[in-house]
Amino acid sequence: MKFSFFHLMPYTHLENQAHEWPFPNRYFDPEKARQHYESYVDSMAHAEDCGFDWVGCNEHHYSPYGLMANCNLIGGALAYRTRRARIAMIGNLVPLNNPIRVAEEYAMLDCMTGGRLIAGLMRGIPHEYIAYNIPPSESWDRQREAVQLIIKAWTEPEPFGWEGKHFQFRQVSIWPRPYQKPHPPLLISASTPDSARFAAEMKATMGMVLLADLPSAKECIEVYKSTARACGWEPAAENVLIGMHTCIAETDEEARSEMQRARDYFNGVLMDGIRTAQRTVLQKSRYHQDAASRQRWENRLASRREATLEEAIERGTILCGSPETVVQQIKRIHGELGHGVFNFTVKVGNLPDEVVRKGMELFRDRVLPHVRDL
Amino acid sequence: MQAKEHSIALSTGELTCYVTGEGRPLLHLHPAGGVRWTRVLEGLAASHQLHVPVMPGFDGRPAHPQLASMSSLAKLVGEFIDKAIGGPCDVIGHSFGGWLACWLALERPDLVDHLVLESPAGFRRGAGGLPADPQALNRALFAHPEKMPPSHKPVEIEAANRQAPARYHQGKAADEELIAKIGGLDKMTLIVQGTADPVVPKEAVQLLKSLLPRAYLVYVWDAAHGLEVDQPERTLAVVNDFLTQSEAFVVNWGTLARDTG
Repeated sequence: MKFSFFHLMPYTHLENQAHEWPFPNRYFDPEKARQHYESYVDSMAHAEDCGFDWVGCNEHHYSPYGLMANCNLIGGALAYRTRRARIAMIGNLVPLNNPIRVAEEYAMLDCMTGGRLIAGLMRGIPHEYIAYNIPPSESWDRQREAVQLIIKAWTEPEPFGWEGKHFQFRQVSIWPRPYQKPHPPLLISASTPDSARFAAEMKATMGMVLLADLPSAKECIEVYKSTARACGWEPAAENVLIGMHTCIAETDEEARSEMQRARDYFNGVLMDGIRTAQRTVLQKSRYHQDAASRQRWENRLASRREATLEEAIERGTILCGSPETVVQQIKRIHGELGHGVFNFTVKVGNLPDEVVRKGMELFRDRVLPHVRDL
Repeated sequence: MQAKEHSIALSTGELTCYVTGEGRPLLHLHPAGGVRWTRVLEGLAASHQLHVPVMPGFDGRPAHPQLASMSSLAKLVGEFIDKAIGGPCDVIGHSFGGWLACWLALERPDLVDHLVLESPAGFRRGAGGLPADPQALNRALFAHPEKMPPSHKPVEIEAANRQAPARYHQGKAADEELIAKIGGLDKMTLIVQGTADPVVPKEAVQLLKSLLPRAYLVYVWDAAHGLEVDQPERTLAVVNDFLTQSEAFVVNWGTLARDTG
């Protein structure tokens, strides 16, 4: 089992009240952000010394939910602060960005890290389309075309042009090219059957973070595996990434107490406006390809929002407890899903950095030895 | 599309040709399936005088017994250009026609200006090719078969068309003689390829691109081997831009007038 240390880089200096999305940036204090970036990058670099195999970050816009408008910059900051850990971009939102720019920046990161990049090519969550003024109804088409263009930019030996539906480039020949051959391993979000199918078609690792429950995760994994087989390849356990909010503390009580406070900030301050914006997009666009997919997404959001911490732990959608408890939780979830990469979202809401750090060390000393060989 | 049909006597026999449109002369060399009137040809005829000869042995026309190689067929096409067009022209060839266009440019460089090679056959050293099974063939040719205009060709003509190319290339997938010579083809060339083409794989056009000294390679998204059918607007856009602007077709001129000074 591989373990990924995933950081959302939230801005945690807000009063405990909800705001609409986009968040007015008059609340932003650059000095506090400077401290955040320094502390967060430090903890991400430290993750390697705590036994994590991957260090991961992602892209979000217009909100204190995450301070990574461009996760590649954080990847660059980590490139020379780490030596062994994979740098997992989970990842660039390819329908919103220039695919050639994504191909170039990922190639840079792969070369800078000596071939440690995991290239996440994500579709993005619905409200992000407002941020970059991209029609959400085009999200699937754009992602499909962008992914194939990026792969071509990485692998085509001669300069080439691309005449596409959403992207047109008459001359492409990126310098640098990626370090890894034929290209960095891909990771595509696969929290719905449709996206699981796409991940399998692209021979990408599938990623599911923020599970609603284990049965729906299992369903997506089955769709992914059967699609992969139909496409002529057999996924390994490492081709399935499962991600969860995680808090490890000395005792179960301490972990629950810290996680509850963090979730209150996460749900009440960081997520509330985003949910409203997402509903606007989902109700008025074809971000999801059909009504069933849209309903599934909305059910998942509702399920996560309404579940108590205890319910989430019981459902196996959060890791929270003492090291010994978390070992059991990991084994249980792995027993159900059979995945090979476990992605820990460690900075949940305003969970104090020192709690995160302590949790990392508890993971290294008292969790990892018992779950490494899963 | 209203095209005038005429017949022209050449050294080895008669050649049927269709002519339509007005403007700079453009010769179109058809694929193994014979002449197919697509929206791309329609679009090209809006700004070119389009000449579409039917190669001997295709579309029900008799073969010319003396012609048994791609190079000899290319020489015949050169004769045709001399007689029907009277001077150099741009040449566009699809698949078998692209293969032929390469030989034409080598045999008669005096008659070829710009070259457009759509999914050119003759450079495939690995997997690919036209499947024998008709359903598999259709899937290989078209990512969007619903866009295919109805064929009015009798079934026996279509069957004969599938056999006709072998007279000239003897079933070769890779024309090694052409590959050895093509580096000397100093013509401004555009290679256009569908991203979903299983007949001419990307390795074949990559090879061709690497050999040609003045060539551009453009992939058309969501098109199989029949890219003129699958994505006519995209194919026409890039081909038209190339033929009208030459190497400047790579520039996005936006809404500002191009500086022609």
